[in-house]
Amino acid sequence: MKKLALLTLSLVLALGIGTAAGKELKIGTLSPLTGPYAQDGTDIKQGVITAVDAFSPVKGFDNVEVLPGDSACDGGKATMAANKLINSGVDVVVGAYCSSATEPAQIPLMDAGVVQITPGSTAERLTHKGYDHFFRMPPRDDVQAWSTVEFLTKKQGVKTIALIDDKQTYTAGLTENIRKFAEDNGNLEIVAHEHITPGDSDFTAVLTKLKRISPDVIYMAVYQPEGSKMIQQARKLDVDATFMTEDAVFHPKFLEVAGSAAEGVYLTFAKAPETPERKAFEEMYKKKWNVDSIGSYAYYAYDAAMVALKAAEKCGCTDAETLSKTIRGTTWEGVSGEIKFDEKGDRELAHIIWVVKDNQFVPYWDPITGKDL
Amino acid sequence: MDFSAFILQQMVNALFLGSIYALIALGYTMVYGIIELINFAHGELFTAGAFIGVIVLSGLQQIGWVETHFVLTLFIVFGLAMAYVAVLGVALEHVAYRPLRNASRLSALLSALGMSIFLSNGMMLSQGVSDRAYPQVFGLESIDFFGAMISHSQVFIILLAFVLMVGLQFFVHRTRLGKAMRATAQNRTIARMLGINIDQTIRITFMIGPALGAAAGVMVGLYYGAVRFDMGFIFMIKAFAAAILGGIGSIPGAVLGGLIIGGIEVAWAAFLPSAWKDVTTFTVLILVLYLKPSGLLGESEADLRV
Amino acid sequence: MTEMVLKNVSKRFGGLKAVSDLDMTVPEGRILSLIGPNGAGKTTVFNMVTGVYPPTRGEIHYNGTRLNRLKSSTIVSHGIARTFQNIRLFGSMTVLENVQVGMHCRTKSGPVRALLKTPFERKEEEAITEKTMELLDFFGLADKYNEYASNLPYGDQRLLEIARANASSPKLLLLDEPAAGMNPIETEALMDLILKLRDTGLTIFLVEHDMKLVMGISEQIVVLDHGQKIAEGAPKDIQRNEKVIEAYLGSGAKAEKKAG
Repeated sequence: MKKLALLTLSLVLALGIGTAAGKELKIGTLSPLTGPYAQDGTDIKQGVITAVDAFSPVKGFDNVEVLPGDSACDGGKATMAANKLINSGVDVVVGAYCSSATEPAQIPLMDAGVVQITPGSTAERLTHKGYDHFFRMPPRDDVQAWSTVEFLTKKQGVKTIALIDDKQTYTAGLTENIRKFAEDNGNLEIVAHEHITPGDSDFTAVLTKLKRISPDVIYMAVYQPEGSKMIQQARKLDVDATFMTEDAVFHPKFLEVAGSAAEGVYLTFAKAPETPERKAFEEMYKKKWNVDSIGSYAYYAYDAAMVALKAAEKCGCTDAETLSKTIRGTTWEGVSGEIKFDEKGDRELAHIIWVVKDNQFVPYWDPITGKDL
Repeated sequence: MDFSAFILQQMVNALFLGSIYALIALGYTMVYGIIELINFAHGELFTAGAFIGVIVLSGLQQIGWVETHFVLTLFIVFGLAMAYVAVLGVALEHVAYRPLRNASRLSALLSALGMSIFLSNGMMLSQGVSDRAYPQVFGLESIDFFGAMISHSQVFIILLAFVLMVGLQFFVHRTRLGKAMRATAQNRTIARMLGINIDQTIRITFMIGPALGAAAGVMVGLYYGAVRFDMGFIFMIKAFAAAILGGIGSIPGAVLGGLIIGGIEVAWAAFLPSAWKDVTTFTVLILVLYLKPSGLLGESEADLRV
Repeated sequence: MTEMVLKNVSKRFGGLKAVSDLDMTVPEGRILSLIGPNGAGKTTVFNMVTGVYPPTRGEIHYNGTRLNRLKSSTIVSHGIARTFQNIRLFGSMTVLENVQVGMHCRTKSGPVRALLKTPFERKEEEAITEKTMELLDFFGLADKYNEYASNLPYGDQRLLEIARANASSPKLLLLDEPAAGMNPIETEALMDLILKLRDTGLTIFLVEHDMKLVMGISEQIVVLDHGQKIAEGAPKDIQRNEKVIEAYLGSGAKAEKKAG
């Protein structure tokens, strides 16, 4: 009996020493897994898991664990989820998606010394706070707004624009930027600025109002679920304007739900590089999650996790200081293009203009070169 | 677009939205009238109807019935969605409300909230978290009605909503069961003494109310083009406000409340800064309740009224 | 004989004995009144008979059926109907509809068939409306058939309640203080009406305070005091019964009478 107890004890001890000796890398995800934007949130979670699958084992680490957190596109819930992840001892957080959730979650994460890489939030001020451990994968809203105004004035040559946003951090910031660039430009007049409520389905009243004002362009600063419904209603109301929208609507779901109503809608989104890595990722992702199309933010999430994994491997560390330095000091090849972070944690990544043609997103125009694609 | 066409268009927008709210509000008001319970799971029953609709409609589209038997397809889609949700409503009553019929109202209310969460999560797990596209069987074409564009789906939906509401009015006034329902709502004890089968009457109420909600769910899917497991929430809030505004327990009140809420929403967005749209809806609700606590057509007693 | 028999019936509410060991029979085709001072347990007897609550002990039989545990809605179908001390009409339904609802348990159609409106149901509905109008005619309410019940004058509301109870074609009609709140002329008319109802073969079981009505039309009277039967018999016997006088006027009355 005594012998058995001793044996058990030694086994337990050995086990304890075993884990203590091995290093573990914990990656948390923070994205809306519930609520209206759960599709994007799920894409992000799946992108991270795909990256961990693709790059494991990571040299110097015995185990990589993914801890999904639900930000619900809500500041309060995101902060709660962030604290939960901190308590679980995460080293890196990929998230959040909505800017209004990323901003409050930054505070506890930065305080706790966790590296945060957002795969979706584009509000500029997120990288203007002097946080050393914060990185952003997609281009900023001012870049997006600038691209939009460039396109509308230079390529389309339109004079009037009406804005619609849903009053959230991301959408309101974007329309504010459009206003700013339009005023600077001087050739694009903002003739209306309307607001909708996130989660609403019926936008006919606002669209009818805009139909009467009859602007050249209606800009929809909304997320995909609202955008898909809004464009259908606009077509049924026979609103005679060019419709333009942004990266949050750039999702296969938009094509699926809006169907033929989506034809001719312009969108801003970063260029998709045609690399073998991207193709390999797409194949792997589709197989793993049994889907036909890939949400746009899965690419960024995959890249964010990839950067974190490779940087940890390179420095053999998990502390935010060294890890951030490694991330910043290296140029990474991602499925969303080349990844090189500046001082603030932003990438040098630009938008191009896409158009919906035959129910596909097709590259249309490059605002930097001013050339058709 | 001249001013008269603009007004006409906004009126069509309001009528459409209001009809949907009214159909959902009817479910709240009927159940409240008969057992004095706010059926918080009603929004989920509405969503369930929308899901059955999209499943059946997608299936029928695949076998080509949308092209060959358009009317029959719609009939089957609405029929199955309403029938399924009617059964779900009866099951809900049996499982969650009947055992608590003599318990405190708070217990029943908590049970209703619990069922709402249960059904919502059930749909999330079975149908996924993202939007599910509704086959656009009506297309994007609209009829030009004096400058206002009314889409084919809107014409159909407004007409169907009208038929359902008139049908309900006929049911509660002209049929034996409808009269029994009104009698039960006014005084359950007396109704029982007169030989009315109370259980059966409550069961019928839990068939009709949810079935109307399911019809509204299919309509929302057909017009707005997508359904999601949590879409019941926003519609629930508006329809609930409509039922309260019209006087909960009153059938014409629910219809009136739905049309008013739809009207306020559209009118505000049409003429005033759209950012304040929802604030206005609820401000009007609060004002009405302050001036007439029982709602526009409600009486102080909670009865199912004519 | 379709008579109602109460055997050894008791009802307790917590510690309070509302009715104790009551034995009585309501004979067919007669008018029987149950009287007694306030709180004697009269309405409790009515409630037990109509299934509002079951007796604590004892047996209630009607026409050979044991009623003890039956639901109110089932008891109606055995031919027992009642009215209430306080008027409880469906105020926002019309006079016609109030009576139609009362006819509910007599119709044959199930819920589905009633919805479908087959020719049979249509015919049945027509028959119901016709029968309802006959009934309203009998109660003198025919010309007010389309008015809301809550808009009727008080006396008419009382009549409508009796009419509604009659709609289920009962064999036994229980009237709980039908004359309450009526003026003498209305009471007079009510007495005629009750007699007329009895003449159609209906058994009447009555709780009433108005002694003029009770003594005027009852064929038999049962007196309750503190939940116990203290007397039973024809009106003229009851009027002379010492125990009854004592119960109504207190023991002082008896002493006074003796002294006088």
